[in-house]
Amino acid sequence: MANLLWLQGGACSGNTMSFLNAEEPSACDLVTDFGINVLWHPSLGLELGDNLKKLLNALTSGQMPLDIFVFEGTVVNAPNGTGEWNRFAGRAMRDWVSDLCKVANFVVAVGDCATWGGIPATAPNPSESQGLQFLKRDQGGFLGKDYKSKAGLPVINIPGCPAHPDWITQIVVAVATGRAGDLTLDEFQRPKTFFTSFTQTGCTRNMHFAYKVSATEFGQRKGCLFYDLGCRGPMTHSPCNRVLWNRQSSKTRAGMPCMGCTEPEFPFFDLAPGTVFKTQTVMGVPKDMPSGVDKTGYIKLTAAAKAASPRWAEEDIFVV
Amino acid sequence: MNNEQQHALLRKMAQLMKSGLETQTEPFPETEKEFAAILDELRKLDANDVEAKMVISGFVDHPYGPDRQRCMECMYYLVHREWCDLPELAVPVDADWWCRLWRI
Ligand code: SF4
Ligand code: SF4
Ligand code: SF4
Repeated sequence: MANLLWLQGGACSGNTMSFLNAEEPSACDLVTDFGINVLWHPSLGLELGDNLKKLLNALTSGQMPLDIFVFEGTVVNAPNGTGEWNRFAGRAMRDWVSDLCKVANFVVAVGDCATWGGIPATAPNPSESQGLQFLKRDQGGFLGKDYKSKAGLPVINIPGCPAHPDWITQIVVAVATGRAGDLTLDEFQRPKTFFTSFTQTGCTRNMHFAYKVSATEFGQRKGCLFYDLGCRGPMTHSPCNRVLWNRQSSKTRAGMPCMGCTEPEFPFFDLAPGTVFKTQTVMGVPKDMPSGVDKTGYIKLTAAAKAASPRWAEEDIFVV
Repeated sequence: MNNEQQHALLRKMAQLMKSGLETQTEPFPETEKEFAAILDELRKLDANDVEAKMVISGFVDHPYGPDRQRCMECMYYLVHREWCDLPELAVPVDADWWCRLWRI
């Protein structure tokens, strides 16, 4: 039995909703097949009031072991570093987080808010939000860059807005079944098994990317969403086209550009009209190139790709 | 538009440029916002008013600028259809033409 506690700071509950939709394995499988004892969760926990406080105190005092602490949402520090804007069970949530992270064997940050600060930490960040161990791209965050949980690992970051449900449950199972040692983390503490490849890996529009055929509207059944609609698939680390959503689709398969939600800078756009879902260009050349490609290479590549493009690249080839 | 109509329109556009149609090649939209402003102007036009489309988007019948930009490398150019797939333009084009909505 592994004790799991899930708390939520500054968040929209999106990761909770995502988690409850998990299929491989499902949230129920965690309990029935993998021996995870969900002590409390904001949508599933039964204890209220004093009983919840008792449970939390038992954990922070070490009276009850805490194997996995899952945190969703930002650590809210406002006003003036007190955290009083986000109170929970009688005290600032940030104080519970601080105490629980001292006793937890593993700490898992779920979703962009808990990992990098996400939307709440976007400037001007009135809630003084931080991610658990990052603030955007800067390591440190609420717990500081040297933080390690009792098992010797830093916070395991599962980003996404929201994170895919199966990324959450599969990592929780790995930790709960003693296979945390198999997890390797990238420089942003994301499990490499999910976050080494790009959103573009497995995208059904890859041939359109190669032959530079652009989709010009949402939902169009041909063309790549990079050239016009701001798809961040070539520079976003996520398995969205390998571990499909609802087992069958992904944003790009449905004709919606990837917004790069697993990267620390999300949301990228300045949110002014005309900047969202538009590839930002400078003199007609994309501001953000696919990872590892420069401007000269890109122009040469385009000329070659256009010259070689087969007739079918211009047809609607999506038949589902 | 069938093939014949498309070719006729292409010839008409070539002729307009040859006979000196003045188009707004400058300023080249530096940012996405400026690009969008030109698209807005195009949207106000009658979709069949090809001459006005050519003027606002700054058509020329040869590669343009130091980078020798041309439709061939532009992401809206459909090679096999010899067609500009930018919804606001949607006209036949030659690979060696250019307009200021060029983007790669
Ligand atoms: S739609 Fe996006 S992810 Fe798919 S090929 Fe194009 S750029 Fe890549
Ligand atoms: S496709 Fe992109 S924006 Fe959508 S969930 Fe995946 S990484 Fe996030
Ligand atoms: S947008 Fe302009 S440069 Fe690009 S294909 Fe159309 S006409 Fe040519």
